[in-house]
Amino acid sequence: MSERTLYGITALFDAPGKILDASKAATSEGYKNFDSYTPYPIHGLDNVMKLKRSYIGIVTLILGMTGVISLVTFTWWANSVDFPMVTGGKPYFAWPSYVPLMFEMGVLFGAVSTVIALLAIWLGLPRNSHPLHDTEFMKKVSDDGFGICIEAKDPKFDQKQTESFLRSLGAVNVEPAYYEAQSFTLRQLVLDPKFIIAIIVVAVVSSATVYWGLNKMLLIRPWSSLNDQEKVLPETRSEFYPDGFAMRPPVEGTVARSQMPYEFTANDLASAGKYLANPLLPTPQVMRVGQREYNTYCSPCHGYFADGDSRLQGQFPSPPSLHTDSLRLAPDGLYYSVITNGFQGIMPSYARQIPRDERWAIIWYIRALQKSEHVEASVAK
Amino acid sequence: MNVSEIIDTQKLKNIPSSYSTFGWTLLILGVLLTVISFAVNPRHASFGLIMTLTFVATVGIGALFWVGIEYLSSAVWSTPMRRPFEFISGVIPLLIIIAVPLLFNMKTVFEWTHRTLYKDDPALLLKAPYLNIPFFIVRTILVFLVWWLFYYLIIRNSRKQDTTRDQNLTTKNIRLSAGFIPVFGITITVFSIDWLMSLTPDWYSTIFGVYLFTGAAIASLAFATLLIVKLNEKNLFPVKLTSDHYYNLGTFLFAFSNFWAYIGFSQFMLQWYGNLRDETIWYIPRIHGSWAVVSIILVLVQFLVPFFFLITKPAKMDPRRLVFISIWLLAAHAVDIYWMVMPVYSPDRAVFALSEVAFLVLSVGILLSVFAYKAKRNNMVPIGDPKLQRGLEFHI
Amino acid sequence: MSAGSIDEVIDYTEAPPLVEGNPTLSHLDDAIAKPMEHRPSAKYFIALAVTLAMLTFGIVAVGYTFYYGIGMWGNNIPVAWAFAITNFVFWIGIGHAGTLISAILFLFRQRWRTAIARTAEAMTIFAVMCAGLFPLLHLGRPWYFAFIFPIPNQHGIWINFNSPLVWDVFAVSTYFTVSLMFWYIGLIPDLATMRDRTTSKIKKTIYSILSVGWRFSNRHWQHYEKVYVILAGLATPLVFSVHSIVSFDFAVSILPGWHTTIFPPYFVAGAIFSGFGMVLTVLIIVRKVFNLEYIITKDHLDKMAKVTLLVSMMVAYAYLLEPFIAWYSGDPVDWYLVIQRMTGHYALGFWIMTTCNVFVPQLLWFRKIRRSVPILFVISLLINVGMWLERYIIIVTSLYRDFTPSAWHLYSPTWVDFGILIGSFGLFFTLVLLFSRTLPVISMSEIKGVTESAHPAEKLGAEHE
Repeated sequence: MSERTLYGITALFDAPGKILDASKAATSEGYKNFDSYTPYPIHGLDNVMKLKRSYIGIVTLILGMTGVISLVTFTWWANSVDFPMVTGGKPYFAWPSYVPLMFEMGVLFGAVSTVIALLAIWLGLPRNSHPLHDTEFMKKVSDDGFGICIEAKDPKFDQKQTESFLRSLGAVNVEPAYYEAQSFTLRQLVLDPKFIIAIIVVAVVSSATVYWGLNKMLLIRPWSSLNDQEKVLPETRSEFYPDGFAMRPPVEGTVARSQMPYEFTANDLASAGKYLANPLLPTPQVMRVGQREYNTYCSPCHGYFADGDSRLQGQFPSPPSLHTDSLRLAPDGLYYSVITNGFQGIMPSYARQIPRDERWAIIWYIRALQKSEHVEASVAK
Repeated sequence: MNVSEIIDTQKLKNIPSSYSTFGWTLLILGVLLTVISFAVNPRHASFGLIMTLTFVATVGIGALFWVGIEYLSSAVWSTPMRRPFEFISGVIPLLIIIAVPLLFNMKTVFEWTHRTLYKDDPALLLKAPYLNIPFFIVRTILVFLVWWLFYYLIIRNSRKQDTTRDQNLTTKNIRLSAGFIPVFGITITVFSIDWLMSLTPDWYSTIFGVYLFTGAAIASLAFATLLIVKLNEKNLFPVKLTSDHYYNLGTFLFAFSNFWAYIGFSQFMLQWYGNLRDETIWYIPRIHGSWAVVSIILVLVQFLVPFFFLITKPAKMDPRRLVFISIWLLAAHAVDIYWMVMPVYSPDRAVFALSEVAFLVLSVGILLSVFAYKAKRNNMVPIGDPKLQRGLEFHI
Repeated sequence: MSAGSIDEVIDYTEAPPLVEGNPTLSHLDDAIAKPMEHRPSAKYFIALAVTLAMLTFGIVAVGYTFYYGIGMWGNNIPVAWAFAITNFVFWIGIGHAGTLISAILFLFRQRWRTAIARTAEAMTIFAVMCAGLFPLLHLGRPWYFAFIFPIPNQHGIWINFNSPLVWDVFAVSTYFTVSLMFWYIGLIPDLATMRDRTTSKIKKTIYSILSVGWRFSNRHWQHYEKVYVILAGLATPLVFSVHSIVSFDFAVSILPGWHTTIFPPYFVAGAIFSGFGMVLTVLIIVRKVFNLEYIITKDHLDKMAKVTLLVSMMVAYAYLLEPFIAWYSGDPVDWYLVIQRMTGHYALGFWIMTTCNVFVPQLLWFRKIRRSVPILFVISLLINVGMWLERYIIIVTSLYRDFTPSAWHLYSPTWVDFGILIGSFGLFFTLVLLFSRTLPVISMSEIKGVTESAHPAEKLGAEHE
């Protein structure tokens, strides 16, 4: 049995007024290393023990402000520097949006730091091995007793004198308190077989869980729901279509964008002439377009004045003049049909080169050319 | 300890005449300045008078609000200090007098009185059943009447209790306060919509009534704190108030400054975020040019400085600091009202001219002179109140 | 304040006692520790069976949701948010009453909160846990929830700091952490008391670890009390900020009925209102079942009822103001929303909500009703119903009538929606029941501090902290 070191003398009182008097007396006696123990904080006890006010609030203020500043700095950096992002038309540094976050982070930093500081630094807890634990004194104090303990390390401490002093204050119970007999070194704790087994078990279990989670669990439903989607992947065989092709031809009757089916055949100029009408009006703009297009596409063969003056110089059959009576009287639809389908295998189709509207514009220009060579006498007046 | 032994009866109605003199001087000076400003620039002066009306009304009805809250919560710490609040609310009957020059002058200030605008703004047309001069006048009179009614009844009961010491009067006042608080909420909202929100008739904000309420609570509390602490420190208060009493005043000032910041920020952020024209038109002039500087100053004086100044416990209990912050917060309330009203008059730049000086001098003059007047004729402490004893023994 | 004549004479010169009967400290310890030290009755097990059944139903519904996806719910376009968000706001709101009682009433030095603070704080923790489930559940792939935090990732992208949903994450995690710490700090002395009372070795080890070796030293009490005040001071603005941020989820949008500046304080008032409804419900049950009526007295219920009435008036203020400003704004869509809330497809829900939130609480003006436990219990249940409906109505009515009529679509919940709601109640009440048997439902150290003779330095009946 090892020597037990004395921690101090404890005294119990049964009324809150008595602990106030006792603490006052202890302070005026000159004791410094003593403490009062009460089941709830008693008002006035701090003053009587001449305790200085608690400055733990400074931790809250400083770390709270740190939280605020950290957050606004981080959000500025993340949204304006690292990955500048415009959301909802708001500027990069949208400070009104950051205010709620600043506030929350300030409170979080302040609160957590204060609690940790209180427990770890100010109170020195957790500590379950204090000499007063598991004593009758502590059992009473945590229930309805009011106690005082003068520590042995106080310069004015003398076991006999202190004990009689406490008794003189009207204590119902005066008892010494001792430090725990055994103590552990860190090395003993770490090499304890139970601790090592516990560490190994935790390591194995957590590794196994993580392994199973990432390699097995993520591959079963519902986590895997999006792994096998019922869609066609490029360059794979299709299980759905009998011919195995994933890419399908367009459905019967599909037309390209802005494609307009043209129902009149190359030979049926009469129907085209009968049913098609020029949708454009002969405005100056239409005429300019028509002129430009005619000069580009038609003039190489038909000549600039629609008289068949081909610039191809015999390398290609020259077309007839468009100024003949029959052609002057032919309806616009006939011209349209010729441009669209070509003419008797000699003139090719210009449907691909000339959009529909511009074909009609060309026709207006041809009409203008035709009129220019057949002005009636009455008009010239 | 018997209550009658600790009340210094000499000081019950003995407010120093310097308060009264100072108050009346400012009042007369303020009236003069206001009249001159009307002669110089009637439009500017009308806006200044709206500021005066708002300032005096918010401090007055705010003080009555605090009286009501004390009764409703059965608080005891504030009982010894309740009378200064009652005296401050004595400005309520005068509000109609301040409003009359404006009621005859509405076309210079309120855009919506000009019907020609309606053609261009269909929303204004839809508001016409509410925003029209006759209904406006009726509402103003009704609000001031309701305020005066509650003021009269509550204060009368409180004063009667000085002589009769009848506990039923406390019960009656509790019931009156219970009725007053919801009515107060609605009437201050109506006041804020009529006199402040409609200055920008296209604009609307559902939180605006709460915003004005917060300003009213801070300003009235600050004014009362200033007077209470000053009188107590000079030993002119009939009972000795302790730093524990001060602590609660300081705590409420601190809490409500934070509350103001919360309400003000909510309104701004939501309207900034939604970015809708009908809401942003109010903020656009206030975030450009010299008004932007005023906005920043407002946040500083109404929130940031009081926050750091009052955050520690000793700061909330220290009389010198409380006096300083009370004056500061009254000035901040003036800045708040200035910021709410004047950008309508001068959207391009912040103006500070005769009308603004008149506003400041006249507002303080009215409040101080009414306080001094009431304090000379009534007990500074509710000597018959059953909670007085517990209030004097109050410790934190 | 009674309806007709003053039938009970109130003497304002005396402070009402906070604990009736002037029991000894030891007696208080015994009474509060009793549920933890004795075998529970059959009634307790029946209650636990019921709540566990509800919880199981909820787990099944959640399982369906995880496995088959959000299609199991009634959500559609445009009503993309319905039960999940309603339940989230509902539970967070309930949490706020707990913080108000334990933190805000503490700062206002309303010492009557002592008897009810511990249970209220526990309710906050549990309610926030229930609430936190819903944002997780309504993600299509909840296992990717970690992406809501600003963690560096291979996409190189950060979270959207402009989104109120992100603000929610920060706010609710802060609120949960701070509430948990506040609750835990308050529990430390009681856990130490239990450590010293208990005879079972296992329990003693657990209590020793949890109480971190607290030894009731006054030097420790001094710093402890300061931190308690600081945490209360931090928790108070948290109540306002968290529910305001939750309200921002709606108010930052431009939907009629959602985009209105009064939402932050209106939601906070509503949260306190619904929370007090739940606190009243739970406390009425607790005080009866554990025979704690002399600690959780009728005065406490009376005062809680008054606070409930006060916040119901604030909610009513918002109910009046929103339609008025909607009319005042001249915006036809805003006004249409007001009308169709009152007369449209969900009008029944709207009027039940108004009755429960505005008209029923008016009964609390009457002292007799405030002190009648059965009526108060029924009122508290109706308040819960009304406030749940309020969130539902706000959300669904603004969504189902979208800006273009072609997008209009009704919403109706599925059994899975209801299942999850019932499950959340099951979780909450299971946790409350478990809490009531493992931890002291009243703070032992604090209640000793408000007995008559607790502080001899001050006079009897004087108001103090």
